[in-house]
This record gives sequence, C-alpha cells and structure tokens, in this order.
Amino acid sequence: MARSLFLFDMTFWLYLASLTLYIAYLFARRPSMALAPAGHPLENFDERDGAWATQLGQVATLVTVFGWMVNTAALFTRAFERLQHSGTFAPWSNQFEAMAYVSWAIILGYVLLELRYKIKAIGAFVVGIGFIAMGAASLLPYRYQTAEPLVPALNSYWIYIHVSITLTSYAAFAMAGGLGVMYLFKERAEQRGSRSRFYAAFPDLETIDELGYKAIMIGFPLLAFGIILGAMWANYAWGGYWSWDPKETWSLIVWLIYGAYIHARMTRGWEGRRAAIYAVFGFLMVVFCFWGVNFLLSGLHAYA
Amino acid sequence: MSSQPETETLAPQDTPRAPAPGLGWEEFSRELVEFFASIKLAMFLFLFIAITATIGTVIQQGERPETYIQEYGEETYRWFLRLGFTDVYHTWWFTSLLGLLCVNSLTCFYKRFPAVWRSMKQDKVSVSLAFIKGMKQQAEVAVQGTKESIAQQLAQYYIEKGYRVLAKNEGGEVTLYATKGVLGRVGAHMAHLSATVIVLGGLLGSYYGFQEFGVCLEGQTYHIPRGNFDLKVEKFWIDYHENGSVKSYNSTLTVVEGGTPQMTKTITVNDPLVYKGIWFYQSSYGDAWDQIEIARVNIKDKETDKVIKTIDLEWQKEQSLDDLKLKLAVTDFVADFAFNSTEKKVYSKTIEHANPAIKLTVNERSAVQATPWIFYQFPDLFDIKDSKYQFELIGYKPKKYTGLQIAKNPGINIVWLVCTMIVVGITLSSFIYHRRLWTKIIPAAAGVTVYVGGTTHKSQIDFQKEFRRLTEKIRTFST
Repeated sequence: MARSLFLFDMTFWLYLASLTLYIAYLFARRPSMALAPAGHPLENFDERDGAWATQLGQVATLVTVFGWMVNTAALFTRAFERLQHSGTFAPWSNQFEAMAYVSWAIILGYVLLELRYKIKAIGAFVVGIGFIAMGAASLLPYRYQTAEPLVPALNSYWIYIHVSITLTSYAAFAMAGGLGVMYLFKERAEQRGSRSRFYAAFPDLETIDELGYKAIMIGFPLLAFGIILGAMWANYAWGGYWSWDPKETWSLIVWLIYGAYIHARMTRGWEGRRAAIYAVFGFLMVVFCFWGVNFLLSGLHAYA
Repeated sequence: MSSQPETETLAPQDTPRAPAPGLGWEEFSRELVEFFASIKLAMFLFLFIAITATIGTVIQQGERPETYIQEYGEETYRWFLRLGFTDVYHTWWFTSLLGLLCVNSLTCFYKRFPAVWRSMKQDKVSVSLAFIKGMKQQAEVAVQGTKESIAQQLAQYYIEKGYRVLAKNEGGEVTLYATKGVLGRVGAHMAHLSATVIVLGGLLGSYYGFQEFGVCLEGQTYHIPRGNFDLKVEKFWIDYHENGSVKSYNSTLTVVEGGTPQMTKTITVNDPLVYKGIWFYQSSYGDAWDQIEIARVNIKDKETDKVIKTIDLEWQKEQSLDDLKLKLAVTDFVADFAFNSTEKKVYSKTIEHANPAIKLTVNERSAVQATPWIFYQFPDLFDIKDSKYQFELIGYKPKKYTGLQIAKNPGINIVWLVCTMIVVGITLSSFIYHRRLWTKIIPAAAGVTVYVGGTTHKSQIDFQKEFRRLTEKIRTFST
C-alpha cells in the first residue's frame, strides 16, 4: 500500500510543480504584443513566446508528462496491490482512487490537446483542475486511501468498464470547465482593453470556445455510455436497471444539463460567454455528482 | 452556424405567424410541429427535468408519513403529498415531462430527418456564385489550366480526403459539390428515436414485469406462481476475506419443474439465476425468526440447583438421555415472544431476536410430559411442577434466511438494444461532422478562377484548418 501512496504523493507534487510552471509561463516576458494575424489564430505560438516563455513552456510540458507517467505508475502499482488484497485490480474502486484516476484522465486529455493544438496557456487552467482533483484526493482521510477489499456489490467485472468510462467523462467535463474559466478571463481582459502580456499567450476566444465545446462533445457520449453500463450492472446486481438512486439520478441530471448545452449550441447566441458560463456551471454539477452525492446524500452508491 | 444553406436542418425558424382569423388547420398543424420540434422546447425540457429530478435526491422517497412529519412538519408534508414529492419520479407531472420529451424528439425526427435522408441520397449541386461567396469559409483562387483539368484534380483531392463528389459542367463553368460525414446527422436522429423507444421499453417492463422480494429458508422449496415452477433453496452461506470483511453472499438454488430438478446454480450478489425470464438475485440475508438449527440447553437439578448436563438439541429432533430418563426435543421457536390471547397462539412480534424462546417438549420417565416455553432472557419463568429438572436455554444457533429479489422484465432486451443505439447515435453525432463544400471553376482571362465555399454544422476550427489546406492545395494545381 505504501508504495502506491508514495507514488500518488509524488504525482501531487509534480502536478503542483507543473501548474506553477504553467502560471509562470503566462507571466513570462514576451517580445511583442503582436497578436496572431487574422485567419491564422492557431499557429506559431512559439514565435510569440520569446526565449523565456518558450523555455518555461517546455519545462512545464516535460514536468506535466513526467507527472502523468508517475500518476500512471501509481495507478498500476495500486492495481497490483488490489490484486493481492481484494478481488479486483481496478484502480478506481474507492473515492480516493477515483479522484486519482480522474486527474490522470484530465492530464492525459490536456497533454493530447497540447500535442495537437500547441497552446500551452490552457495548461494553467486545465492542469489546475487536475491538480485540485489530486489534491482533494490526498486530503481524504487515510482509511479512504487504502485498498480495502471490495464489498460484494462492487465485486464484479462491471467495475472495470462502468466506473472508468463514467470517470473519463467527468474528466472531459472538467476540461470544458477549465476552458470556460479561461474564456471568461480572456473575455474580461478584452473588454477592458487590457494590454497585459499575460493574455498574449492565450488563444483567441473562438478557439477556446470551440475547444470547450469539443471537450463536452467527448464527455457527453461517454457519460451516456457510462450511465447505460451502470444500468446494465444494476440489472445484474440489484434486480432493476433504474431505481432513481441519488447517484443514478444525479448522473442523469448532469447528462441532461449537457444535453441542453449541446442542443443550445445549435441555436444562435449560445457560443462564447454564455456557453463558457454554462460549461463552468455544468462542471460544478459534475463535482456535486461525483463528491457531493457520495458525502451528502445516501443511496445505493454510498459505499465510496 | 451562419450561412447554412439548408435552413430546415437548423434551429427554429422565425416563420411569420399567420394572422389569427386566417389560421386554418394547415397553418395550425405547421405551428404545432414547429413548436414540438423546436430546440427551445428541448432545452426547456432537459433543464426542467434536471431541476425537478433533484427533488427526489434531497427528499427521501417512499418513506412512511411519520418520517416526513417528524422531519418537515405536517403542513409541509401536506404540500409534499399534493405535489407528489414523496414519490416524484412516478407523479403524473414528471411522467408527462418525460412524455413531452419523447414527443419533442419524435417531432424533431419527423420534421428534420427527411432533409437528412435527401441529403444522403442526393444534394443540390448547382448553386449560385453569390451563395458560395456568402459562406463563412470561402476563398477565391486563380490558377493556370483548363476548367476540366482543374476540376479533375480537385475532385481527385476531395475523394482522397474521403468526400463524395458530384460535378456539373454547364454554362461554361464547372460546379463541384463535395460532402462527407452526413452520418453525424443520422446519428443525432438515431439517438432521438431511440430515446423515445427506451420509454416504451420502460413502460412494457412496468406493465408486464414485476419485482418481488422473498425471504427463503435453507432446505425449503417455494412455489413461484408467476413462472409456474418451484425453487428450492439448498444452502446459504457467507464467504469472508482474511481481514474479516464479507467477500460474498451465496445461495445455492435449484429450479424444480414438474417434480424434476431443472438446474442448480449458486447465486451471488453480482451473479443472478435466470430461468424462463425470471431473475433471482441475492439481495439480503438474516436470521430466521421462527426456526433455529441448534439450541443449547442446561439441565439443572432442582434440589441442588446445579447443572447436571449441557446438551445441544437439533431442531425438531427428539434426543434421549437414558441416564436421566429424559426425552427432549425443540419443537418451536420465536425470536420475539408474543402471545395472542384471543387465538391462544404464540407468535413472533418482530423479526428481531429481541426476546427469543424455544418450546421444549419434555418427556420424563414417561410419566411427566410437558411443553414449556423456555426463555433465553428469563430462565426462571416456567417451572415444570412434577419434574426433577429445571431447563435453561443458554444459547442457540439461528437458521439463516436468504433474501431473494425476484424480477421479470420483458422490456429489458428492447431497452438494451435501444441503449446501444443511443450510444452509437450520440457518438456518431459527436465525432462525425457533416461537411459540405461547393466549388465553381470559371474560366478567367488567364487560366481559371476557383471559387470555393463550405460549411459544417460543428467543429468550426477544424474545418477552418481543413479549408485553409484545401485552398493551399488548389494553388498548386496546374495543367
């Protein structure tokens, strides 16, 4: 047990370091305020960054990737420990492990996003959420952190797929929430006509908006799949596929909230600011579904 | 979203409302479809259902009235009853909201799917130059070459990129139409349709299915009237982990039909037995309140008040103690002793083992015969007058019962099928974007001018990138 807990601890510190580096990257001196030419908003962020920012950005990425690898190792180690102590190897079998898995998925998502779009400014927001998830996990009491054997209701192969998919969808919504916050920051700066170099590394509003939308478009089908797998599991374990248990209901509520968002995007006026606020609100609902329900409401899922 | 050439695939149109007097059936039905297919209604329903669904997670559902009155007060409880807050998910208004959502998605399908279907089959190739120039993504590129050869190369490029291409060469210009990803739109409609069917599957389940709970004792056979077969509970036991926590609850069940055993299975919490569409789940367990396995009884000599012997008596099995000239048997048990004075019957008040007692059948020297109730907590309550002995119940091993959830849901396969369709549909519509590009190649003074414009209904930045690559590619074309 000690081995995986040590690795989880290391993950926490590495994510803290990478978050600090990403924030430092935003504050780093940049040679010019020249914004990207119209029509080509996505490319050549490196050119705008200058020596300081470029180096900070590179270190930030390296530390993040390393942190993610340690996170992966921690989850694998936990899986082996679980294999010895309990009837499963799924390293997401209690609240602590689930949080650690969510931060793993958030950081993986971020690294892929950075690889594809080369926008490092997003790191300050999205890695921030991954770090908070990991931090909240390590704040849990020790008895929540250990790999106790599973209660009979959880001891099933469904835990591998239902839990991991649902948690991955939470990670996607977390990314959308982080991007929403970023959008609101940038928008406020633009409205005030801020010339702060802080915002020079930010992509344009349209890009942030679109990326947030994409994150939700990944989370939405995943959550649908996760809920349905949960229903199938319930049908095997509890004798009914839907019993309006608080966790079930809240995951449906979250799904409906994002369903409304996806439909809203089809109509005019639901991009930009409104969508960003909505994404942040949706993410708060996810947080409640994930944490609040487990600790505040009773129900069949209350074994975390 | 702007410059979408097909408005019917889009958000609600602001069709001018017909003046009230002239509102005929046709206009009315059109308005009705418009209303029920509208995205605004969908958004409203999504959010309203989400908000009302929280009620049932905050207020405990299906509790007894006393519980609510104690927690919320009588007046509030009365309001709860009026609004159905004690069973929100089965109230008429919540069900209606779900029904409305079904109507919403069905109407949306009815109104919008034909256009998607047409677009799969054929699409309009001929568009005006102004139409192309008015699009969000549009470009104008002058290249050397004949219109036919440029069109050839462009079509080749589109096909390489996975587009379906239609071309027209008339009026001195070539028009190309390229499209891909219409499946994304089909997916959305698939999800809409399946969401409706899921509700039907749910209804089928609730009308023709059932859910029951049965308390079953080891070794007993129970008749399952709904399936017209018998179920024998062979055994119940609990497995433990090394640290003492429960590993699994297990019941071995045998299905008996027409007197012959059909199948035997050990069920655990995540592994039910299924026979003829009826599912048996391991749901709970406990100590039986009217049977035990073994009772431990002290036999005391009344005169000396000393324990002569301690014996274990098996349930309803007579045991002879020849040295004491005694024959003893445990013939009855109650977990929480109570006496019905009108019917003169002993029964168990609750299922808790609050006041356990056994009925001991005593036969002493074939002379004294008695059936006293011996209490675990009150050893001196009963005294057999003529007997030399005093009997004390000092312990017992309760018989375990296994709690089985018995359920049948004929709608379940429809639900799973449709769930799969929902996931596939949502995934298609989330990851596949419908893209359409129109190109006009018009001969110019030197070479040709290529006008290209395109739209997508989602993921604008990716499309923007793709469009930029396309225009760069067109620049490289030559004869």
